Amino acid sequence: MKYNVISYLIGEGIRNVFKNKKSTISALTVMFLCMVIFGIFFILSENISNIMNTVEEAQGFSVFFNLGTSQERISDVGEQIKTLEGIKNIEFISGEESLNEYKEGLGERGSALNGMEENFLPDAYKVTLSDLSLNEQIQQKVTEIVGDDLEEIVSGDDEIAIIMNIGKGIRIFTLVLLMILILFAIVIISNTIKLSVHARRKEISIMKYVGATNSFIRWPFIVEGMIIGIVAALIAVLIVGLGYNAIIPGLSESNIVQKLEITFVSFNDMFNLLMIVYFVLGIGIGIIGSSISMKKYLEV
Amino acid sequence: MIEFRNVSKTYITGTEAVNNANFVIEKGEFAFLVGSSGSGKSTLIKLILKEEEPTSGNIIINGKDTTFLKKNRIPYLRRSMGVVFQDFRLLPDKTVYENVAFAMYIVKATPKHIRRQVPMVLSLVGLSAKAKMYPNELSGGEQQRVALARALVNNPSMLIADEPTGNLDPDTAWDIMMLLNEINMRGTTVIVATHAKDIVDRMKKRVIQIDKGNIVRDDKKGGYDSEV
Repeated sequence: MKYNVISYLIGEGIRNVFKNKKSTISALTVMFLCMVIFGIFFILSENISNIMNTVEEAQGFSVFFNLGTSQERISDVGEQIKTLEGIKNIEFISGEESLNEYKEGLGERGSALNGMEENFLPDAYKVTLSDLSLNEQIQQKVTEIVGDDLEEIVSGDDEIAIIMNIGKGIRIFTLVLLMILILFAIVIISNTIKLSVHARRKEISIMKYVGATNSFIRWPFIVEGMIIGIVAALIAVLIVGLGYNAIIPGLSESNIVQKLEITFVSFNDMFNLLMIVYFVLGIGIGIIGSSISMKKYLEV
Repeated sequence: MIEFRNVSKTYITGTEAVNNANFVIEKGEFAFLVGSSGSGKSTLIKLILKEEEPTSGNIIINGKDTTFLKKNRIPYLRRSMGVVFQDFRLLPDKTVYENVAFAMYIVKATPKHIRRQVPMVLSLVGLSAKAKMYPNELSGGEQQRVALARALVNNPSMLIADEPTGNLDPDTAWDIMMLLNEINMRGTTVIVATHAKDIVDRMKKRVIQIDKGNIVRDDKKGGYDSEV
């Protein structure tokens, strides 16, 4: 018997959706646009943090030793650096390797250096970090460990700071945007439901005279809001997905992208999270929007 | 069944709609509520339905003081009374049958109960043949019969009619009144607010007259205005 009541309430909700076609379509459109805008920024932020991760992985500093520092001392220092927190990788680059690299960089003219017997380039460690925020702290500790044998530490501190700020900025922006879009969507949905409630105010007043409880009156409208939210979510995920998969292959082949060695996140990897966000948004906004708009009409 | 004890109602606007009303309508009674428009008649009906709260006094319905009834209990109070209005208030996109069944859905009746009860009440109001028609295919009198069927379908202990014949021609109005009488004969308390002087005079039922918010007359077998 319960089933009968539930199917009646859901049926009424679906009827509402089709009864007020104009306001349903306008709410659906606005919801859909909000979700697409959010989807674009969501995808953008996912890709940027992906790029950030690859860039971050290569970030760190080089530790150069004074010429003549013994190999034992150098490997001992290496062991100590390895134990520090926030270190991802540490790579030894001998002075000779540096010299060879330097020669290759010079090309044919590099042969001029062949005559040099003594290597004038120092041995070094290239340190990469797993946590960029610990950069300064680690550099200080390394300075202490190496002590008098340190020639200098060379790092891209400024680049590290910029990368971290960009990453943070985009995440905050996406979050703020999400908040604004949610508020906007709630207002739109509650307005649509208000129209729907208004169109059925006669029915609602009859229901009240016959002794319908408020929750009984409310449910069809909540169902209506939820249906609009779910349909908007489905269309949005479809459009965003198709659009993304259409644009990315072309973009990947473009010169700039190839040069910068950027790889894009595949839509499948983002699909689950995006879908969950969309459905929570759609259903949540539908329920909240309907409840707000019903409040006034139920106080008789 | 319905008891008003020193009930007064002053609207926020300052209008004194009802002033110290006292009366008792017993179970199974048939009572007219008469008075010109603006006399406070509609407010009395609204107070019974708990659409409005009294400013002071107590209203006792079926032995329960409804003055302090919680808001979420109001729907259950209303299930004990059927209501009809001057403008019928039918749903235009539902058939006669659906309009009546609607009232049963709302109180979560079982489908089996609905299938048995709706035809029964439609036959009581004489509309069995028109169950599949829509309200706009019916005459005014027939529409009011549908409204009556809807009011009665959940077996309320009382029926409240607010100007039920206001939109009907005299003959049809009389038919509706006869139907109300028949419903009363079956044991339902019937309260009719009306302007229809000739009908009240012919029916020889109890008349409660209200004027400027005061109950000015309560006659066991009166006419519309016995002093004239």
